Amino acid sequence: MNISYLQLVYLFGTIFCILGIVLCIRTARTRFGKLGDAPPVSLWITRLPAESAAKLTAFAALILMPAGAIFIANYHTFEGVHEVSGCASCHLMLPMANDLQDSNSGTLAARHFKNKWIAENQCYHCHSDYGFGGNLEAKMTGYRHLARYTTHTYKEPLMARVRFDNKNCLNCHQGTQKFEAVPSHHTAWARLVSNQMICLNCHGQAHPTSLQRTPGSPDYARLTEPLE
Amino acid sequence: MQEEGIDSQELSGSSEISRREVLVTLGVLGGAVAAGAAGWGLLEAMVALRQPVESWHKSVCRFCGTGCGVMVGMKDGRVVDVRGDELAHNKGVICIKGSMLPELVRIPGRLTYPKIRKNGSLVDASWDEAMALVASKFSESIREFGPDSVAFYGSGQLFTEESYTANKLFKAGIRTNNVDGNPRLCMASAASGYVQTFGKDEPPGCYADADYADCFFIFGANPYECHPPIFERIRQRKRLRPDTVIICVDPRRTMTAQHSDIHLAVVPGTDLLLLNSMANVICEEGLANQEFIGNHVRFSDGEKDCDFAKFREFLRAYAPEKVEAELGVSARDIRRVAFIFARSAATMSLWTMGANQRTQGTFLNNTLNSLHLITGQICRPGATPFSVTGQPNACGGVRDTGALSHSLPNGRLVANPEHRAQMEKLWKVPEGTISPRVGYDAVSLFRALEEGSVKAALILCTNPGTTMPAAGRYQSAMEKCFTVVADVVEDSETQRHAQVVLPAALWIEKEGVTGQGERRYQLTEKLLTPPGQARSDLQILVDLADRLGHGGLITARSPEAVWDEWRNISASSFYNFQGITYARLKKERGLQWPCPTPESPGTARRYVEGEDPFVAKGAGVEFYGNHDKKAVVYLRPYVPSPEKATAEFPIYLTTGRILEQFHTGTLTDRIQPLHDAGGPAMIHINPQDAFVLGIQDKDAVEVKSKYGTVRGEAKLSNATRVGAVFASFYDAKLLINRAVADNFDPTSKEPEYKVTAVSVRRVAT
Repeated sequence: MNISYLQLVYLFGTIFCILGIVLCIRTARTRFGKLGDAPPVSLWITRLPAESAAKLTAFAALILMPAGAIFIANYHTFEGVHEVSGCASCHLMLPMANDLQDSNSGTLAARHFKNKWIAENQCYHCHSDYGFGGNLEAKMTGYRHLARYTTHTYKEPLMARVRFDNKNCLNCHQGTQKFEAVPSHHTAWARLVSNQMICLNCHGQAHPTSLQRTPGSPDYARLTEPLE
Repeated sequence: MQEEGIDSQELSGSSEISRREVLVTLGVLGGAVAAGAAGWGLLEAMVALRQPVESWHKSVCRFCGTGCGVMVGMKDGRVVDVRGDELAHNKGVICIKGSMLPELVRIPGRLTYPKIRKNGSLVDASWDEAMALVASKFSESIREFGPDSVAFYGSGQLFTEESYTANKLFKAGIRTNNVDGNPRLCMASAASGYVQTFGKDEPPGCYADADYADCFFIFGANPYECHPPIFERIRQRKRLRPDTVIICVDPRRTMTAQHSDIHLAVVPGTDLLLLNSMANVICEEGLANQEFIGNHVRFSDGEKDCDFAKFREFLRAYAPEKVEAELGVSARDIRRVAFIFARSAATMSLWTMGANQRTQGTFLNNTLNSLHLITGQICRPGATPFSVTGQPNACGGVRDTGALSHSLPNGRLVANPEHRAQMEKLWKVPEGTISPRVGYDAVSLFRALEEGSVKAALILCTNPGTTMPAAGRYQSAMEKCFTVVADVVEDSETQRHAQVVLPAALWIEKEGVTGQGERRYQLTEKLLTPPGQARSDLQILVDLADRLGHGGLITARSPEAVWDEWRNISASSFYNFQGITYARLKKERGLQWPCPTPESPGTARRYVEGEDPFVAKGAGVEFYGNHDKKAVVYLRPYVPSPEKATAEFPIYLTTGRILEQFHTGTLTDRIQPLHDAGGPAMIHINPQDAFVLGIQDKDAVEVKSKYGTVRGEAKLSNATRVGAVFASFYDAKLLINRAVADNFDPTSKEPEYKVTAVSVRRVAT
């Protein structure tokens, strides 16, 4: 069986969660007041008083394990979004992923994908602010999406509230001969680098429109098919 | 870890979970949930607080005739962002000018108070003082010299409600047909071409046809710079179907030409030779669609009907080998282009001022339509002749409302007694109210100002001081008349010659409908308060109507009330858009007429069964604008321009727009990045001509014609054809229109901006 690196991370995170829950239950059932009479606890090469051992367990249960689980979950997410399938695991992202891989689509995402302008199979290439080193705004929005998604407090179509950072485009395009030859890029330069004007204004749709992503639209079923 | 001594079960001596344990567990769980909820709430609040935009509002771009849908982002009562509307016809694409819309409402030099000329200078006045003066001068002129001594000169940038009200006030109130405007300068030939061919004005197709066309025939147009979202759509088609052919016909190697597959650099003023020659090739080489011709086409020499054989005979004089020398395009290229045009799965023609601003503008429009008719490249997705319009509301506001000197609403004509009677009934005015005299078209109007036969003129939302051909002559003409100008900015060329200047609201400072190039009506809602005392043009017109004693005629006083009156009037015509209500316009991304009922989805393609409600069931295609329901192919001979190059004036001057500037630059040139990008307008000259004339880059040069002389800086450019110079008209400092000829098309009365014979020489700075 072939287990990928990400699957290992996932497994590790799951173990952390289960262990955390077990330790939480143990901590909840501990009578700290009655630990004085209890015999010391053996920890391989040393023995700890029962009270200290219980406190250590509580620390692991309430702080260490949750922190570790959160870290691993975030790490898994940030690493996971390096692949389209990672993003598409949230079904709200399926329209973006399906469109991206549709060779008949003219959206910017599809054109970047089919012409291999982006690293293979990556949404992350143009959405790098969602990555580990991304900005605070993207992080906050991402966590908000997570909260909304897990609690089902969202409605389709999903509408982006954050301003897409032009740096995602300029990282590759800035300085190329083709980019520099367009007069409007120079006219709007100050506004482009400060994100006062989005590249999409002139270059059109990046993904399917909100109307296409609305349940009941003619394109909805096609766009939300599970990825192959 | 060993579990010895830790298990509480052992300590308590019980295997059951105690009440305390349950409470502790619930407490921890509750705490965790509360912490999570608090964190989420904080996150929601922080994300909301950090939003740069408070609310998004659907609107329409202020600039060109593409009429792009935009989303306006507002925060704290200010425009903070503008984006292309992904759900509008432009699919989210706008251009650099549209992207600068947030700056438009903050441009410096806004006119905020009415001004009256006193002792040669414009001084601030109250609205009452200014309007009382305007009304008294108009009344005095009408009383002493009759209704035809006053005039209205409007704009394709007014809202429909404003143009409609002005038209009604002057034609049914004051009783003069001296109602014209800047659309006469840009699309009158397209309108007359459509009317002659199809019996009805406005394009049969739509922008979405670009998604299906396999051949684009771009004729005398530069959409890369002038209508960027349309050209982006064409390029998108090419990306998705790389075999798509883009043909560009333009004397200059414009940005559009540079992005085309075939560029035919015709000699200015000769391109009817190309169209007739293409028609010749189509007829001689068996490329005509005889079935379509048989079912849907009638031939006419302009006076009487004829047949295909006569048409073919007429075209023999235009065989490619006979025209190539004068046209400047090889016979081989003519044949190649004719073949692609006729044989592509779907051909879409797009044209603008290169075809319209010509003394043969109507003939060129007729023949462009004819090429589609003889090849059957029409009334199918992707196959259509499409005249792209220049201003945001020239179509809906002026052509459709009939706010021109020869026309009445919904395609009616002043010269037609039945049409006048129909409008008198609809406007509820006595029979005989509307004058049978066709009013002054733009050039004739300014000549009438010069002669003194028009004593008072109201000019709204346009800058004829810069835009008129032979501009120097007509600037002086304005001074001979009591000229009233309502404008959004101070110091336009026109205001220098005006007696009263009124501050007007701009874009989202007022509400109204615009109708762009594909018969789509869209609503611009009011989001801002105008600065100072500025008012909407509708308020100005209503005030004037009251003061002139026509308050009883102009009863609709709000934009929606005017719109309701107008859409009800349309119900009696083939324009019928009674179903386009304000409520729908607020909700939907514009609607294309005909749209007779509130349930109608509108009409993307006219004359097509199943799309156009006026086409009879089973007809398939029906050109119902003409009595026999057939479109007319005219035999239109090429006549050289009166501005044929001579020894004295050996070079052709053509004018046009550039990407960053709209029209005379009164708005766009006040937006700093657009100003910086445009820079001063220059005289573009081919290096070969420059070498012969001893001109180097940035030399001061003089361009002289029979109409005037301008001086500017030379820019050597290979984009300009040998034997031609180009200058853009946005820069009042250069004011190239002073040198432009004021010849006009005898039918459409549209001036020939594109062909002026000039001399060019280097001068000392």
